[in-house]
Amino acid sequence: MEKEKIRAQREFFLSRALGKPIYDRAGRSVGRLRDMAVRWDNHYPRVTGIKYAKDVQMLIGIDQIERWDESGIRLGVAFPGKLRPGSKGEQRPLLRPLSKEEIYVSKWLLDKQIIDTKGSKLVRVNDIMLAWIESGTARELILVAVDVGVRGLLRRIGAEALVRGRAQNLVDWKYIKPLESRMESLRLTLERPSLNELHPADLADIIEDLDSASRTRLLAGLDRQTAIEALTEADIDTQVEIITGMDSARASKLLAEMPPDEAADILGELPEEKSGELLGLMDREEAEDVRELMEYEENTAGALMTNEFIAFPADITAEECIDRLRELAPSAETVYYLYIVDHREVLKGVVTLRDLIVAPPRAELGAIMRTRIVSARAGDNVKRVQEMVAKYDLLALPVVDDQSVLLGIITVDDVMETVLPDRSGLESFTDFMTRGRSRRGWRA
Amino acid sequence: MKALWKIGPLRGLLLFLAIMGPGIITANVDNDAGGIATYSVTGATLGYKLLWVFIPMTLALIVIQEMSARMGAVTGKGLSDLIRERFGVRVILLVMVVLLMANLGNTVSEFAGVAASTELLGISKYIAVPVVALIVWWMVIAGSHKNVERAFLFASALYLLYIPSTFMARPDWSQVAGHLAMPSFSFEPVYLTILIGLIGTTIAPWMQFYIQSAVVEKGITVREYKYTRLDVILGCFMTCLIAAFIVTASAATLNAHDIHIETAREAALAFRPLAGRWAYLLFAFGLFNASLLSASILPLSTAYYICEALGLEAGIDKRWNEAPVFYWMYTVFVAVGAGIIMIPGIPLFGVMLWSQVANGVLLPFVLIFILNLVNNKDIMGSYTNSRGFNAVSWATTAIMIALTLTLVAITIFPGLLA
Repeated sequence: MEKEKIRAQREFFLSRALGKPIYDRAGRSVGRLRDMAVRWDNHYPRVTGIKYAKDVQMLIGIDQIERWDESGIRLGVAFPGKLRPGSKGEQRPLLRPLSKEEIYVSKWLLDKQIIDTKGSKLVRVNDIMLAWIESGTARELILVAVDVGVRGLLRRIGAEALVRGRAQNLVDWKYIKPLESRMESLRLTLERPSLNELHPADLADIIEDLDSASRTRLLAGLDRQTAIEALTEADIDTQVEIITGMDSARASKLLAEMPPDEAADILGELPEEKSGELLGLMDREEAEDVRELMEYEENTAGALMTNEFIAFPADITAEECIDRLRELAPSAETVYYLYIVDHREVLKGVVTLRDLIVAPPRAELGAIMRTRIVSARAGDNVKRVQEMVAKYDLLALPVVDDQSVLLGIITVDDVMETVLPDRSGLESFTDFMTRGRSRRGWRA
Repeated sequence: MKALWKIGPLRGLLLFLAIMGPGIITANVDNDAGGIATYSVTGATLGYKLLWVFIPMTLALIVIQEMSARMGAVTGKGLSDLIRERFGVRVILLVMVVLLMANLGNTVSEFAGVAASTELLGISKYIAVPVVALIVWWMVIAGSHKNVERAFLFASALYLLYIPSTFMARPDWSQVAGHLAMPSFSFEPVYLTILIGLIGTTIAPWMQFYIQSAVVEKGITVREYKYTRLDVILGCFMTCLIAAFIVTASAATLNAHDIHIETAREAALAFRPLAGRWAYLLFAFGLFNASLLSASILPLSTAYYICEALGLEAGIDKRWNEAPVFYWMYTVFVAVGAGIIMIPGIPLFGVMLWSQVANGVLLPFVLIFILNLVNNKDIMGSYTNSRGFNAVSWATTAIMIALTLTLVAITIFPGLLA
């Protein structure tokens, strides 16, 4: 790369530049810097033009600027008289309207919310840092960072001196992702993948903080798998809002791809009519799985479990089992325990992944399985489940009915969620009524 | 809906609370300590004279609250978010300073309500106020105040008791009807102060922020908005109805016997026709409950709006070191609110009334921005205001500014308009 050739020079803040006077070559006043247009087709947006008057939708191209310093902006060309909209002179070619690939910085970025992918959170743009960079003979003005701190805020009102000593709170522009739909017209091929690279749990936090319109846009911009994972990680209220806000066909498709226990939780929160409709649109088998899970009382093992698990008959060999596992593993919630069931699905034993790997390839699962199984009944309460998982150091706990028929499994991460106190959202003071109800308790 | 009585009292209560929407919740929080005090003083001092205000005021309240709720449903954003994005840093700082002042006044008045009600029960404010402040503060820090608030909210239905008490006080109904229908006006400072306080407590600036974020938080979109509109109208109507009864009850029991309100002891007399010697207890309990409800909501929501508008981390799902400004602001708010009430000899009812006057003075600042936003087609699309709505809200704004200026003028130059 030609990195060493690129030199950043003279960084400055947008708030200090706005309002600066603009002069032409002869020193005559043209207007004041009102806004800048940028092209955001790389990590760092480039300034392509400046807006010189409030009500004029025309830009002066960046290449017309000869000098840009503390005292103002000096153009390299002469303007006979003031520039006015509609005035038809020979200077018109110098002015051009905003193109489709450009956005206004002050109007569409400043004060808005954006995603900081490094800190994985929503931030508000308090100020923007720009810099002139030189590579070879070309000189470019780029946006280098977003100021999300108090200093930026005070700088805007001219009171930065109050906090001189405090550190700047800047986010490098390469970590910045826009939210607004204006960006859709931009070529963001470079940018798109990195939202998908955020951890789904971080994405879920961002989604929870967004308004409903931005949520839809953000979800639409993610790839399918990431969108489903992020939705799975979001809190129940956000999930319900997103599902309710979608048309039924899309909603049922999303639900079908989520783990059935999460889908059941969401459907349990919806009015019966709506959940019935969504279940009706789902694949019959998947709908059946979800429906089963919705039957269980809240705070029981049954409500906590998922019925997607891996079970094998006792008479296959370790080798066969590993082959089958290769096919099943990508979609299974956990692969560390393999449950052994008979033809009536009665739980007979468990084989850990370690047991399986160290077993001779020809050994039958029935011979290597452990028969002393720790399991929960579907009606057991959550407290008991927590105790069992903690006491026996389990990664997953099988759930059985009275006849020992395997119904599902509870993975340790589902148990963790019940242990940690739920402090999600602002519900406690803006909407303490409708949110406080239990997950799917009193709908009776 | 299945019959409530079949479900049992606890589930019935939960169901009732779940049905209540943002409009009715806001309305209930609106009848806080400052509200009760202002309505009582209105009736006691001016009798039935200000009853006519309730008709235009109810209309204005409905219009203003509906606009805010509609903005929440259409944009999915809070009011402070919208103001920041549309008007930039300077304006949002100004609005936040206004909100901060109004809500600090309100918080002080909530603690005044705590002090006034506990003193009725013979408990010194020097014990009650710090203890209550600590409890309120701790509930938020521990993250477990949700359920407690729900109980407060339910108990605020207690104010419905003003309605039978009014009837039992046998007010002069012909006078009530006359003053309700026939506007009267006076340039006396007392009259103007109470009038501004009355409007300020009923249409307080925090309510627009509050209802909008409640609508957003509940995920209400334009599709379900028609139910929310009903809920808002019903809530506003309820607030004003109860307020009008408090004024009438106070007028019939206090003004008729020339009793002035100096402390909660006199205000409580409005319950006497209903509760006899239990009136003090009833009033104390009601005032205490209303004060606690609002004291647990206002400081927290104020800290939240301010941090969100300024782009700082906020929300009780964050830890203290993740959102230090938010928690410190909240803590300082509660501490200052309670601290001011600890000043020896501070007139509690005076504090409650004057904080509501401050609300009234500051209301136009917020209304101007709401009106600008709600009429912006880029933000609201086809859901901008109708002409009638604009007329009512601009009139409210203009009237509040005119009243404030008049009050200031005649305070500085007494006898100017006499």
